[in-house]
Amino acid sequence: MNSRSLLLNAYVYAVLAFVLVPIIIILPMAFSDTNYLTFPPEGFTLHWFGDFFGNSRWMKALRFSAEIAALTALVTTVVGTMACYALVRGAGRIGALFQGLLIGPIVVPHIALAVALYLFFQKTGLSGTVAGYVFAHSVIAMPFVVFTVAAALTSVDPALEDAAMSCGATRFTAFRLVTLPLILPNVLSGGLFAFIISFDEPVIAFFLAGIRDKTLPRMMFDNIEQNLTPVIPAIAVLLTCLSILVLVGAALLRRASVRTTAAPAQD
Amino acid sequence: MLDGRTADGAAISLRGLEKRFGSLAAVDDVSIDIESGEFLALLGPSGSGKSTILMSLAGFERPTKGQILIDGVDCTPLPPHKRNIGMVFQHYTLFPHLSVVENVAFPLKMRKVAKSERIRRAEAALKTVRLEGYGQRAPKQLSGGQQQRVALARAIVYNPRVLLMDEPLSALDKNLREEMQLEIKRLHSELGITVVFVTHDQGEALTMADRVAILKEGRLQQISPARELYERPANLFAASFIGEMNQIPVDYDGGVVRLGGGQAIALPQEALVQPVPPGKAVLAVRPERVRLVDATSADALPVRLRDVVYAGAGTLVIGDLADGTEIRARIPSADSADLRAGTTLHMGFPPGAMLLYGGGAA
Repeated sequence: MNSRSLLLNAYVYAVLAFVLVPIIIILPMAFSDTNYLTFPPEGFTLHWFGDFFGNSRWMKALRFSAEIAALTALVTTVVGTMACYALVRGAGRIGALFQGLLIGPIVVPHIALAVALYLFFQKTGLSGTVAGYVFAHSVIAMPFVVFTVAAALTSVDPALEDAAMSCGATRFTAFRLVTLPLILPNVLSGGLFAFIISFDEPVIAFFLAGIRDKTLPRMMFDNIEQNLTPVIPAIAVLLTCLSILVLVGAALLRRASVRTTAAPAQD
Repeated sequence: MLDGRTADGAAISLRGLEKRFGSLAAVDDVSIDIESGEFLALLGPSGSGKSTILMSLAGFERPTKGQILIDGVDCTPLPPHKRNIGMVFQHYTLFPHLSVVENVAFPLKMRKVAKSERIRRAEAALKTVRLEGYGQRAPKQLSGGQQQRVALARAIVYNPRVLLMDEPLSALDKNLREEMQLEIKRLHSELGITVVFVTHDQGEALTMADRVAILKEGRLQQISPARELYERPANLFAASFIGEMNQIPVDYDGGVVRLGGGQAIALPQEALVQPVPPGKAVLAVRPERVRLVDATSADALPVRLRDVVYAGAGTLVIGDLADGTEIRARIPSADSADLRAGTTLHMGFPPGAMLLYGGGAA
């Protein structure tokens, strides 16, 4: 091993450590047998997890977040897949324009988007409603769904749909029976991403929250302001586990998609 | 054999077909009548409009002008799924997530045939293309040739009266291609279906088709049976596109042609496929019709040999006429043993081998 690759290795491990250390530090704090956050933790208890699951306000926020995340996943997969189909299969400049606009929610700071949506929702009465959250979260999750689906759709030969139509299928049936099954793993994986993006989303939720209905990240902020107990790292642990599950699920789905669309054998 | 097949294919009539993309006419006023049960090849270089005509027949392209009649019914505005036409594409278009038999049964599913009946007919179609027992495999487990045969089975399983093929063999290697050509011909005669076959391979067109339509830049050049196309091409493009053709610039006075070197040759009347006005013209002769003759022969043209290319049964002799025009002759190798590049010999054209076209060389 020469000195250059040694340096590179050191650099890579430093970056990994930088990314992972906060997560690794928060994990044991969730099990600390104290009323306040402390590191290193003292004692061991599952008390804070029980506190979370036993508290009706936390549970209400959890259900509310889950409902919004599920609806966001549904909306973005349906709308995102349709948009993706138009982008990949359609021709012309409008497609390129939309593709540019789609990157918008990624590059625009969420705080700017949140302020804009806040003002817009004040006028339209969407503030604090489920529809409002789903709309806002769909905007930020949409690019991830479109790009995930596009990766699969570009590898599906458009001639397959022509073949299906020559067999007597309408264009929609051809899409439903041929193209959709081939891109489904990526559609579902895009949906999982949308779910987790919405579920974790704190900034927009901060601006849109009504008095009664709060999402889980918003509740965590409120809790941090009032009394910082280890229930926060406990929730953080749960959210981290959920994220890992989703990432693993998405990876498995994409591996399945590679299997179905792999190149045919040559003679 | 497939069940309930209709005895014969549909008659197709293309009338004044035109397809414009902006200012470019991909297909320009093409009219073709295809008989019931005929095997027609559309032949041309890329950009000749042959695929656009096929796609218009299939319903994937909407012609800007003209009509497509199938058995006298105007199909021009119908979408692909309402045309009841079988189609085999250039690429492998089997559905990768379905098994072979599910692929073949797909058109029957679209026609709401009951499942057991679907499978039975799909298996029968697989038998027709000699892939019995391959039904449970995934498409990607098959070779390219097998995949195209499955695509063929899928295209004929619902007994369509027209089968369209868009260069279906172009992705296969040479041996497999020749085997598939015979397979498709056999199916054609067995099913009595009307076939329209697009290709850029002249050998394929001549081997397979009852008639060949030659296209160039969106226009129909000639539509004839293979023999007529080869022996009496309608114009210089058709003459040079199919096989090899010597093209010798001449002056024509209405009966006799005069070569650049001064020699005169009297032409028989049948040398003119179409009327040729006196003036500049091109004398066309297939290389295999050129003869080596004695210097004393009346039609002897002196040729300075440039190359003698031995190729087993035949030998290609390349030389220059007195005015420098290149001339090629294909002669049996048995007659070519003492030919040497750099020497001069004499060639002659039998009267039936000469064709005359007006204007300059193509």
